[in-house]
Amino acid sequence: MSSSIEQRQTILTRTVLIGMSIVFVTPLIVAFLTSFKSPAEITRVMTLPTQIYWENYAIAFGRAGRTFLNSLLITAPAVVLSLLIGAVAGYPLAYMRGTGGKLVYFILLTGMLVPFQIVQIPLFFLVQRLGLYDTIPGMWLVHTAYAVPFCTFFMRNFFASVPRSMYEAALIDGCGPATYFWKLLLPASGSGLAALAIIQSRAIWNDLLFAITLTTSDNARPATVAIAGFASSLQVEYGPLMASTIVSVLPVMAAYLLFQKSFVRGLLGGAGK
Amino acid sequence: MKKSNMLAAFGLALLGATSVQAQDNLEVWHYYAAGSELAGMNALIDAANTSVDDANFTGVVIPGNVVELRRQLQTAFLGGRPPAAYQSSMAYELKTFADGGQLHPLTDAWAAIDGDAIFPEGVQRVVKVDGVPYGIPFDLSLINNVFYNKEAFQKAGVAVPTDWDSFTAACDALRDAGYQPLGNAGGTFWSLYNFYAALVSVVGEDGYYQIARGELGFDSPEFAEALDLYRDRMVSCYAQNWSGKTWTQTADDLINGNTGMFMMGIWAAGYMDTAGFKAGEGFDMFQAPGTVGKSIFQMDVLAVPEGPSVAAADEFIKAITTTDGQAAFATLKGSLAPNINVDPAVYGYAGATFSRQFSEASANNAVLPNLFFLLPTDLGTEFGVQIERFAIDPSDTVKAELISTLEGLRQEALAESAFIAW
Amino acid sequence: MNLSPHRLSRTDWTHIAFLALPTLLFVTFYVYPVISSIHLSLHDWNGFAPKMRFVGLQNYQVLIGQPRFLHAALNNIIWVAFMLIVPTGLGLLLAAILDRGIRGEQVFRIIFFLPFTIPAVAVGAIWRWMYEPDNGLITTVLKLLGLGSFAQNWLGDPNVVNLSLMGSVAWWTTGFAFLVFFAGLRNIPTECIEAARIEGATPWQVFWKVSFPLLWPSTIIVLGMSAIDAMRLFDVVWAMTKGGPAYSSEVLAVQMYDLAFGRFDMGRAAAVAVYLFIIAGVIIMPYIIYMSRRVQDSEAD
Repeated sequence: MSSSIEQRQTILTRTVLIGMSIVFVTPLIVAFLTSFKSPAEITRVMTLPTQIYWENYAIAFGRAGRTFLNSLLITAPAVVLSLLIGAVAGYPLAYMRGTGGKLVYFILLTGMLVPFQIVQIPLFFLVQRLGLYDTIPGMWLVHTAYAVPFCTFFMRNFFASVPRSMYEAALIDGCGPATYFWKLLLPASGSGLAALAIIQSRAIWNDLLFAITLTTSDNARPATVAIAGFASSLQVEYGPLMASTIVSVLPVMAAYLLFQKSFVRGLLGGAGK
Repeated sequence: MKKSNMLAAFGLALLGATSVQAQDNLEVWHYYAAGSELAGMNALIDAANTSVDDANFTGVVIPGNVVELRRQLQTAFLGGRPPAAYQSSMAYELKTFADGGQLHPLTDAWAAIDGDAIFPEGVQRVVKVDGVPYGIPFDLSLINNVFYNKEAFQKAGVAVPTDWDSFTAACDALRDAGYQPLGNAGGTFWSLYNFYAALVSVVGEDGYYQIARGELGFDSPEFAEALDLYRDRMVSCYAQNWSGKTWTQTADDLINGNTGMFMMGIWAAGYMDTAGFKAGEGFDMFQAPGTVGKSIFQMDVLAVPEGPSVAAADEFIKAITTTDGQAAFATLKGSLAPNINVDPAVYGYAGATFSRQFSEASANNAVLPNLFFLLPTDLGTEFGVQIERFAIDPSDTVKAELISTLEGLRQEALAESAFIAW
Repeated sequence: MNLSPHRLSRTDWTHIAFLALPTLLFVTFYVYPVISSIHLSLHDWNGFAPKMRFVGLQNYQVLIGQPRFLHAALNNIIWVAFMLIVPTGLGLLLAAILDRGIRGEQVFRIIFFLPFTIPAVAVGAIWRWMYEPDNGLITTVLKLLGLGSFAQNWLGDPNVVNLSLMGSVAWWTTGFAFLVFFAGLRNIPTECIEAARIEGATPWQVFWKVSFPLLWPSTIIVLGMSAIDAMRLFDVVWAMTKGGPAYSSEVLAVQMYDLAFGRFDMGRAAAVAVYLFIIAGVIIMPYIIYMSRRVQDSEAD
């Protein structure tokens, strides 16, 4: 009796899983197939390509090749920097007692409410005055700065879940609060950092607004600008658009696969209990 | 961590290498990011680089449309880092920027290229603000053509319409033959462009300019009559679900023989051509009822911001207004060259047809610029939104709301003396 | 922390030093732009004219009386409700099913996360096809299933467009909720679950009685981020409908963008931004307060 219920449940959950997988994957399959269609075939969206049309990938790489490199050069350091700044801010906020720390935390969190579209003009002035307009370090700075509220929020919560006894024991052993952070806390926070790294990689890799505002040339333009270009105002080049989308998804997926193991393992056996 | 440090170092090295050479480039900002539009733009910039020796122009794509470009421009103007030249809409857009003191008057360059002689009168009107030229035409598209699937017309036994009655007959015949009669697409512009045909039918060229100047009210009987004409003759023909499609999706419908007709700017001909559906073979076109012998056009111009590179920009203008420069852009993009000295022989079947229409309209003095850009920006945009809403729901309630909304904005604009006598 | 500088310990100074850089970045990149937006919202300015005209609170007063503005604000609130329920619930469901140890788990994990990695413009472009009303995939599938009468003018009908957009956003963002819940479930000590199993609880009882309460930390992160994303929603709407047809799918960030750069009304746009900030504050501030309390509770444990 109970095993037949279990069986039925297994069938049910399998069905749900497979059904949902189809829903999730179908739009991507359409995109993938489209990336191999010639312009004449693209007008018939729901058909299979009659031949593999590599030209779309050639166009995507020809026009967006450099921007993929830029995206990598922007994203990898910016993710590291934003994790660092989040950890650096989250650490004292997790351990400070009293109203001062709470106030700072509140104020930083309100940053998550700011719609990014309103900051662009002052931002442009700042970045330009720093001589970082249309440069990759300029993008690092901006992505780090705008990561402050969320990364602080995330890391503070993570640190707060680390047993306080660890901190107090370290201080008693004569370890300074800064040393504790760099030598003990940060190395033990792999899981939290990995989780945040996945979120931040995706956010920074997919940013379009800051990229359009602060870059004008192949010096620093990331792939999202090129992808948006294929979906421009009057004409949409669906073939290269989908080809470049498929290519641009790969690095984020790689980051996901790379960090996911330490992410789950870290949460399982790490500091989080 | 180590990997990213290496990446960072690599990034810095790369920056060191590239940032030096980037300085001498004169940027030309535009939003023609894809396809034949981009090809045309690149050809135009190449033409300038070939004929101007001591300056190097680089096209910078701002992906999106005119709205995104404005956002970028505002940032750049305030930051004191404007491009050497940029793609601008005509008329009111130029006025807004010129009033803001951002634009370099192109009086000298205009004289050097003899702008008064090489551009038709209707085109000149919309690039001058108080008689001073601020924009240089390079990309002109007619928006009063109806494209039709030749096979569909044949199968339904439809003759090419010449007036509203034959247009309605064509719609009925197409519908009976199992086609969606008239395609349209969602967005602020497309329904409005279709509506112009009805509007011009009722108010004529003079009335059209009167609306542009704020002299003819949206609460006038003429305007209401135009709305009724649009509703009865065009909205009633629209394809099912038109408002949920992009214009390229509707063009696909025409290509695939689902839809019989589609009134759209002439860039649609370029799109269909790229998809292997050829003008004169697969499809053909006619001027919308009420606009026969007339041309309504949408045009993009190049504007030059005040700044250190205005001298170079003058040279750029001279290069892109030559017949070769203008033809290079127009033939690749599938638009018309505004310079009247461009030999019509450079165009293919579709371009030659449009060129012929445009010369005829110029001769008739019936060249009408897109009303959207003649009106104060707020009113023009709302006009587009309201007409789309009416096209989706052509009820009397919506009609009344449309009239009162637009008339309210007209009164506001009158109070601020925002209208211009183009 | 005692604010008197003489009493500050070495630890306090270290904390302050740690906070210096983040605070500096915050003031420069958040506080300053927000103040300049508030300043701008009191003016009439087209974005290019050399002078701004001071109009006081007029922009705010005009907006509050406009159906267009109220409609967009209401849309934002509906989006918050949607984002709190649908992607979150779906993500939890998928994580809970997958956590039971199913063959091919790794593949499913990638599939559910994949859409989340796609840039918004591409999401827009892909779903414009899915929603093509006559020949798009959704209409085609419905017709195949004999449900053709359920097919809609997905993005062209003002009554349907918001639901359609929500469908594509659910597809796009469920992966995030899934990811966090899945990690949260894996973080639950196996002993708890084993204990419940031994006592004869069914898997679903285990989930609701044991796992779900322990999942609360993951849940509040997902809920908070969803609410914030819903308030700031812009990209996908702009890419798919630009707020149309006729404002029906407009949210505040889209309206702000249209007013600023579509209509050269920077002051009005800034006022929309400030309203957006205030509404977001009202909705999300309780969450932020709750978060800080909760952490203190866990410290007390």
